[in-house]
Amino acid sequence: MSEHSTAPGRRVVITGCGVVSSLGTGIDEFTAALRAGRSNVRPISVFDTTGFEHNNGCEVIGFEPERWIENVDIESLGRASRFSTAAARLAVADSGIDLDVLREARCLLSVGTTDGESHELDSMVSQEIDGGPEAMSPRLARRTSAGRLATSIAHELRLSNVEVGSIATACSAGNYAIGHSFDAIRLGEADFALCGGADAVCRKTFTSFYRLRSIAPDFCRPFDKNRLGILTGEGAGILMLESLESATARGARIYGEVLGYGLSCDAHHPVAPHQGGIARCMELALANAGVKPAEVDLISAHGTGTHANDKTEAAAIRELFGDDTPRVVSMKSMLGHSMGAASALAAIGCSVAITEGFIPPTINHVETDPECAVDCVPNVAVEADLRIVQNNGWAFGGNNSVVLIGRYDGPREAIA
Amino acid sequence: MSTGTLNPPVISAWTAISPFGHDRASFADGVRARRSPVSALDPERWSPAPGGAACTVPGFEPREYLGSKGTRAMNRVSGLAVAAAKHLLADIGVEPGDERDDIGFVLGTTTGSVQSMMDLTRASLTGDKPDHVEPAAVPGCVMNCAAGQAAIWHGLKGPNATIAAGRTTGPHALNYARRLLRTGRATRVLCGAAEEYSPARAWVEHHRRGGDDPVVIGEGCAMFLLEPADLRPPGRRVLGTLAGFESRVCLDGDLAGTVAVAVRALLAAAGIAPDQVWAATGSGFTDAAGEPVETVALRALFGDAAVDRVPSADLLGDTASASAMFQLAAILGVAETAGRAGADHTVVTTCDDDGSVACTLLRLGEPAA
Repeated sequence: MSEHSTAPGRRVVITGCGVVSSLGTGIDEFTAALRAGRSNVRPISVFDTTGFEHNNGCEVIGFEPERWIENVDIESLGRASRFSTAAARLAVADSGIDLDVLREARCLLSVGTTDGESHELDSMVSQEIDGGPEAMSPRLARRTSAGRLATSIAHELRLSNVEVGSIATACSAGNYAIGHSFDAIRLGEADFALCGGADAVCRKTFTSFYRLRSIAPDFCRPFDKNRLGILTGEGAGILMLESLESATARGARIYGEVLGYGLSCDAHHPVAPHQGGIARCMELALANAGVKPAEVDLISAHGTGTHANDKTEAAAIRELFGDDTPRVVSMKSMLGHSMGAASALAAIGCSVAITEGFIPPTINHVETDPECAVDCVPNVAVEADLRIVQNNGWAFGGNNSVVLIGRYDGPREAIA
Repeated sequence: MSTGTLNPPVISAWTAISPFGHDRASFADGVRARRSPVSALDPERWSPAPGGAACTVPGFEPREYLGSKGTRAMNRVSGLAVAAAKHLLADIGVEPGDERDDIGFVLGTTTGSVQSMMDLTRASLTGDKPDHVEPAAVPGCVMNCAAGQAAIWHGLKGPNATIAAGRTTGPHALNYARRLLRTGRATRVLCGAAEEYSPARAWVEHHRRGGDDPVVIGEGCAMFLLEPADLRPPGRRVLGTLAGFESRVCLDGDLAGTVAVAVRALLAAAGIAPDQVWAATGSGFTDAAGEPVETVALRALFGDAAVDRVPSADLLGDTASASAMFQLAAILGVAETAGRAGADHTVVTTCDDDGSVACTLLRLGEPAA
């Protein structure tokens, strides 16, 4: 795809994927679930939902952090950091890179998040209600800094020469982290990047969306006429990025190439999506990648399943892509809304869609809303030959980010 | 989108809303005088918190400061960031209401507003029904609330990012902003960090430190205009050039040693000798044993004169993610009135008890022709 990119510098490829999700742990379980169109919706268990009329969510069930985390005291980590650290371990293993190579290199560790360790803050509030502020736990307090979602990875992998931090741009943060890492590697300022997003289900966020009447009572139905909102989810998606030269030199398996990305801010409303802002973000991403709208084979939508998002997003896509609008799917129909992890998990979904040759479906779909006039690949995955996939992410605060991922077909002869 | 510039970005304007006052001049005066801004907390304003003293921004309430429109549910950290951005945009002549697609906004935080987050959870747990929370309070419970509010208030439509890296946030946020300029994703960036005083934050910090020593919490927002030197409008002076960034994570418990490794790498990458460093300032971090680890490392590298030139950020109490931004502002404030005898470089270091270490190299003054 090098003929596309207008960006100077090195080409950047994805060579490892680490997944902790409600659909399973590890890239193989995740890919199988996306292909099968599964979800794992169930009543939320990590906090007491008594008093809420409905309480479905997409939790990570049966997660055993001690299976993946060896070097860090698990008790020192909040729920989201356990997800990010385990997913980083999985991404490194999937990439086949020797840890000693990473330790000798300059690495970027960048984790997007909406809530950081809000689950721990929720627990501290419960302690305060029961016993006053003096009764809050020092152990929980030490977990709360959002930067720990990233620094915990450095400690687990024993990496010292790292640029490390969290990007707290809410529900598009995973794409932000991938974009930041793309730039760092492209410019030669990092050799490898472990990037993506992580979040844990928490009372604060469930209550927030519930109060905004944006939680679906049963299932998440993006683009459906009768969609009723999101289901809160959780997990982590961490990708290994490196330069194409590096990947080629070590004979790495390449999932795809990061072709470019875009960032825009709506500067419009704290929580409502804005058609102009997200259209501008898609335009910036396409320009950065050197891709024309007609060349995009699939859009992985932000697709939360709220009335406002899906209508606004479909309109922005239609405005920009017109008759060339490709299929537009929402993986949140299967994963729920995993907040800061969402666009990272979706980017991983895009990567395996390219390598495995299928389009993940939009499940729970009955009747497409005429106001969302897109082919969302209802309910059943389809086989497809995908060359360029666009991954959308929007967020509270009007923080928009879009990443473009292309198939890597191996070195080609220069065209005479 | 432009193709970006190879030139390192310069700082050509800055502001600070701080415990010393609401503007740059009051901050610079306070730092130069090394005045302590610690004051007793007003018990009528703040619910009980550990320790009776803090470094709060005097007389600051978002609603009074910014007016009643759009501030009903604005939390304190958002108010501080919106106010700082307002000052800085006024300084550089961006008129209110101007919409700018090319101005980026990068803001550092530790965890957003812990007070807003915990208040919402408390309302859910103690109300008649668990969803009986104030809908207007919801946006303030997300960590990017302050950056999003600043964008809305000031029409900033460029890249808008919130960076959370504990106490090392400052250098990381500056580096993120530098990449936005380097890659042409923004033509100018307002880059700062903001922390609010709140009882919730004071309690979390109290417990984080084990609950023994009284902790003096500081608050405020320091913010810088970063732009390529060659795209500066005529008449805007360069105050300093971002000349380097380094970061490490300490794996062996020797934080002072890790600071030294990072600073040596910072100087080596820029080709700078220690005697070219006019001022080196740490964040005032002390480890569990009470050792001021950065100061120890910096004195060994640069000698006492360079380290004593600018007070460390703990003059303002614990300003957490904003500490390194306040250090940088302190350097610029002190440099305004001090002779430098040819040594033009300054080093800001910072570290966090999670082991992360970061540092920034700033070359003062106009770039060499």
